Amino acid sequence: MKLFGDIEFFVVEAFRGVRRSGVMSLVAIGIVTVSLFIFGLFLLFMVNLGNMVAEMGTRLDIVAYVEKAVTPDEAAAITEKLSHITGVEKVRYVSREEAWRSFRDDFTQKLDLATIVGENPLPDSFAIKVRTPDILPKVAEAVAQYPEVDEVRYSGKLIKQIQTLIDALRLGGMVLVVLLFFATLLIVVNTIRLTVLARETDIYIMKLVGATRSFIRWPFVIEGVLIGVLGGLFGILILKPSYDAVTNRLQVGLPFLPLMTDKFTLNVIYLVVGISGMLLGMLGGYISVSRLLKEK
Amino acid sequence: MIEIKNVSKSYPNGVEALFDVNIHIGKEEFVFIVGPSGAGKTTLMKMLYREELPNSGTVIVDRINVTELLPEQVPYLRRAIGVVFQDYKLLPRRTVYENVAFALQVTGAARSQIRRHTMQALELVNMLKRASSFPEELSGGEKQRVCIARAIVNNPTLLLADEPTGNLDPTTSWEIMELLDKINRRNTTVLVSTHNKSIVDSMKRRVVQLEGGRIMRDQQLGSYNQV
Ligand SMILES: Nc1ncnc2c1ncn2[C@@H]1O[C@H](COP(=O)(O)OP(=O)(O)O)[C@@H](O)[C@H]1O
Ligand SMILES: [Mg+2]
Repeated sequence: MKLFGDIEFFVVEAFRGVRRSGVMSLVAIGIVTVSLFIFGLFLLFMVNLGNMVAEMGTRLDIVAYVEKAVTPDEAAAITEKLSHITGVEKVRYVSREEAWRSFRDDFTQKLDLATIVGENPLPDSFAIKVRTPDILPKVAEAVAQYPEVDEVRYSGKLIKQIQTLIDALRLGGMVLVVLLFFATLLIVVNTIRLTVLARETDIYIMKLVGATRSFIRWPFVIEGVLIGVLGGLFGILILKPSYDAVTNRLQVGLPFLPLMTDKFTLNVIYLVVGISGMLLGMLGGYISVSRLLKEK
Repeated sequence: MIEIKNVSKSYPNGVEALFDVNIHIGKEEFVFIVGPSGAGKTTLMKMLYREELPNSGTVIVDRINVTELLPEQVPYLRRAIGVVFQDYKLLPRRTVYENVAFALQVTGAARSQIRRHTMQALELVNMLKRASSFPEELSGGEKQRVCIARAIVNNPTLLLADEPTGNLDPTTSWEIMELLDKINRRNTTVLVSTHNKSIVDSMKRRVVQLEGGRIMRDQQLGSYNQV
């Protein structure tokens, strides 16, 4: 009974606060909405980028060429050996005939190379798929250690460049998110501070009659949560349809683009956005009343 | 009940509000603090509920060493002390009942207790019939009664009243003083600062006179001026 009484008190006071700060509360909710929308965009962007790299990585093979043609038995043995390297997902033997055929299929129209060269110049090879693109160089090095392997090729440079780009984007995005966080926090703190100032006598009386600091804080923390959760909710309400619209467009125009459409992952992102709003509001409420709660 | 030992207090702006003050006040005493404006009466009271800390000396209230209290212990000291102000400090958007109940609510009391104690306190100050009025609908004396009800609603052992009749006419002042006397007779230590000469003279209680932050006189059965 006592606990319910306390909670009722906190919530009623919090709503009074939001109402009393009227326009400023709306402004704060709007700003939280925009900030969380941008935060959500950043998360979606990063997830998609990650998705693309992963997708690309699975398309990129390491190709190990052997010196001379191998017998089917030897091919099976080498395939077996290479499969045991950590990080290797799949190894496929590509005979020189097969390689030549696909080469000719790819290039015959554009180039008359096949007729120029005449006979098959390609060696037997093994196409090796790795689990994640970041371990490509390591696996390539391990493959090169085998005496049967003459030469190893992979597009490591490209992967590295893309990874560097992603790291830069991630860093830039995080700096942006941190700045956004502090700017939004400042707005929330100042909004709730309006309530705090309007309540200075209430707070003074509460302290005087012996309310604990946490008790005095709760209504303001809840006021922050109200602002944060509403901002988060509106943020999600803008974010989700925007994302769906953009991905629908892109999927028509650029069908090969590996967009993140996994419902679960997307819902987790929206949830993170909402919870961030709540935490932001809580922190704002907590800070806004702190100065008045200091004891001498 | 109250032990003030060698207490000196100067504010950050350099004003020396109290200088080497020593007072001992027993349980259930009724004490007047008199002295001109700026003598340090308010500062002395603030020292007791730890709104201000002394620069030196010790303050003990109800066996609690106020000067050594941790911030998180301060609320529990304040629950043992009721404070009455000259300007009432009632919350304008709350009714009389809510103003008094507020003091219990914010200390986490149970709902049934809140109701019972609030009614009792309003009954004691004779304001039960105005329970649903707002402060702005009340006269000065009525506001002061509500302020007193709020101060005593959680049964403090010490009641501090800082110039409680400063804004009231003589008749109302007497009513308020009689109320404080009644509370004192219900086993509460009462400390009243005042400029009201006729009341101090006729009540014949202990009088502590402050001037320039020093104690000039501490007299049982005293009067407003030294005789
Ligand atoms: N918060 C404060 N900051 C600075 N000086 C103060 C403060 N409060 C009181 N004073 C000064 O301390 C002295 C004592 O004040 P106070 O205790 O209020 O006296 P009284 O209540 O007897 O009128 C006065 O000179 C006053 O100006
Ligand atoms: Mg004063």
